[in-house]
Amino acid sequence: MRIRSITGLWLGRMTKWVLWALGRKGTSLPGLVAARVAPRLLEELLNQLSTCVIVTGTNGKTTTTAFLYAFLNDGEAWLTNRGGANLQQGLLAALLAKSDWWGRLQVKKAVLEVDEATLPKVTAKFHPQAIVVTNVLRDQLDRYGEVDLALRMLSEGTRYAGTALITNADDPLAMSLGLGRPELTYYYGMTGVVDTTARRTDVRDGAFCLICGRELEYAYFIYGQIGAYRCPEGHFERPQPTFAGRWERAGRRLVVCEAEPNTAEEFTVESPVRGVFNQYNLLAAASAARVLGVSPKALRRRVQNFAPPTGRFQVFPGAPERVLVLIKNPTGANGVLRALEDDAAAKAVCFVINDDDADGRDVSWLWDINLEEFIPCSRAAEWLCGGTRGLDMALRLAYAGIERTQIRVLDKLAQVAEVSADGVETVYILSTYTALHPLSDLLKEVANRG
Amino acid sequence: MDRSLRFVHLFPELLNLYADHGNMAVLVGRARARGFAVETVAVRLGTELRIENADLVLLGGGSDREQVIVGKELTRYREDLLSAIDRGLPVLAVCGGYQLLGEYYELPNGERVPGLRVLEMTTRAGRNRLIGNVAIEWREGGERKTIIGFENHGGRTTHEYPPLGTVIKGFGNNGRDGKEGVLYKGIVGTYIHGPLLPKNPHVADRLIRAALRYRGQDDTLSALADDLEWRVHDAVLRQICGEK
Repeated sequence: MRIRSITGLWLGRMTKWVLWALGRKGTSLPGLVAARVAPRLLEELLNQLSTCVIVTGTNGKTTTTAFLYAFLNDGEAWLTNRGGANLQQGLLAALLAKSDWWGRLQVKKAVLEVDEATLPKVTAKFHPQAIVVTNVLRDQLDRYGEVDLALRMLSEGTRYAGTALITNADDPLAMSLGLGRPELTYYYGMTGVVDTTARRTDVRDGAFCLICGRELEYAYFIYGQIGAYRCPEGHFERPQPTFAGRWERAGRRLVVCEAEPNTAEEFTVESPVRGVFNQYNLLAAASAARVLGVSPKALRRRVQNFAPPTGRFQVFPGAPERVLVLIKNPTGANGVLRALEDDAAAKAVCFVINDDDADGRDVSWLWDINLEEFIPCSRAAEWLCGGTRGLDMALRLAYAGIERTQIRVLDKLAQVAEVSADGVETVYILSTYTALHPLSDLLKEVANRG
Repeated sequence: MDRSLRFVHLFPELLNLYADHGNMAVLVGRARARGFAVETVAVRLGTELRIENADLVLLGGGSDREQVIVGKELTRYREDLLSAIDRGLPVLAVCGGYQLLGEYYELPNGERVPGLRVLEMTTRAGRNRLIGNVAIEWREGGERKTIIGFENHGGRTTHEYPPLGTVIKGFGNNGRDGKEGVLYKGIVGTYIHGPLLPKNPHVADRLIRAALRYRGQDDTLSALADDLEWRVHDAVLRQICGEK
């Protein structure tokens, strides 16, 4: 390793100590410092890995990564970037934590969550064994401009033919990454979950043929633009998935049918997560683990090691019980709302909307959440809003049909963590990224107080 | 007296990048609250646009790819649109829709994507996108009011018409001349989304009044209880003006 890289590494480590002494976690700053001094440090560390799987896409990266981390854990040490620090500095910080003073990695296997825009930068100088793509949806528009741009970056980042690509058959945009890539491309998709709650009016960003621009025809929608589609001109259609999942909602399990050239084999995994979008995360991770040679038996056992990441339906016991859920874009939020409809409990729904850089500074996406159709089936007794743009959300709720006098706006996150109301069994707190970790800490405190 | 209004949303399935349907919800909500029977028509790709059935037209923004499709489709209706606009048809054109009203959009390689040539206005792609919260000052009938929202555009637009407002914070049309948007007859063109109308109800009412005049009706509107709208407006304005 070059002197410059070692200097960068040392500075990064010192930063981490300083942060630790100050009582901070430091998921990105040590990496930022190291990268400033040594721009090639990241690739030098990555290239020491013997096995690496990258998870990318718009929604579900963190949960899919957590599933893969559980599935791949074969007793040997694996490293991962927990907490969603998925830009270059976050990756670097995760790798630095497992390297010695001379820049030698002590752990040779990694599951890494990588941001869509960071992916091409990472894969330009490093080829992982596999890349898993969750989906390509409308995210924080002010970050990348447009969905088309995110797709271009993913396409560039997954071009290397020696890397296995595991991508979503049911999402026309994610699927398109596999076109013209005949080798080492695997599709996963759901069968038999014709979700009757999928709404025709949801935002759909990829619902047009990328070749002729015609609106895609759908046999059914599962959520967002995800479903069984085909171009009316025959340019492309949903491929037969290599890994076809069937979600048995009542039994809380996922049955995966694996299509080999001549045979089809089935295996079942207990699903510890809620919502159809989360079953996709489980299916994506199980498919990738199979591609990497993990046996169905090991998958069934290791799924029990899955630890739900912060704010992915994170439950804080109490009366009322409080559940923290990340929302960051309309399709993700719509998926969360569908999962809430499945819960028959009397509930309060609290939206915490911040507009820092990591949340997306443009809050217009709140108008793309399909609240109009959620409200009548929500069984919600209380509506609350918080965060720096809580008032914007209150206005959005008013236009969706909630009486203006029925909407409470909370000024402080501490108030959000203590929300309760008569007859409410569960308070769902739907929060954007920057409020998530502070809320999780506050909710832990409240739950511990009992 | 005829108390009905017809609002036409052009290509909502394509031009929906910045939740522009929120603008329609506000126009419909505020017109219905005054007792008007409102009919909304969504003109989708491949369906006929009958401009004589519109009292107000909404044109949103889409991705570059979608923008080109819409530009081609609308060329067929250019003459109809021009004559209706000349008679005062109100049009709310946001972002990509705003650019489309001009003569052309010049790409970085010098290629010009033709616009509808409704306005003598041109747009050139800039090196970086102009992104962020925006606040402008709007004068109408001697009154000064603010308009707030979010902008995110690569194009720099220039024209000699009166602007929608002058920039207090943000970039506006091109980041140079301090102007944001355009006002021409019934047209309100702007880069501001958020969406524009929920937090700027005064702009919504201006459009509704223009629609009433276009139909040859009395354009007085009763006041509505919109304290929440103004609370959000003021809070966001304070936040924007506090930004560095």
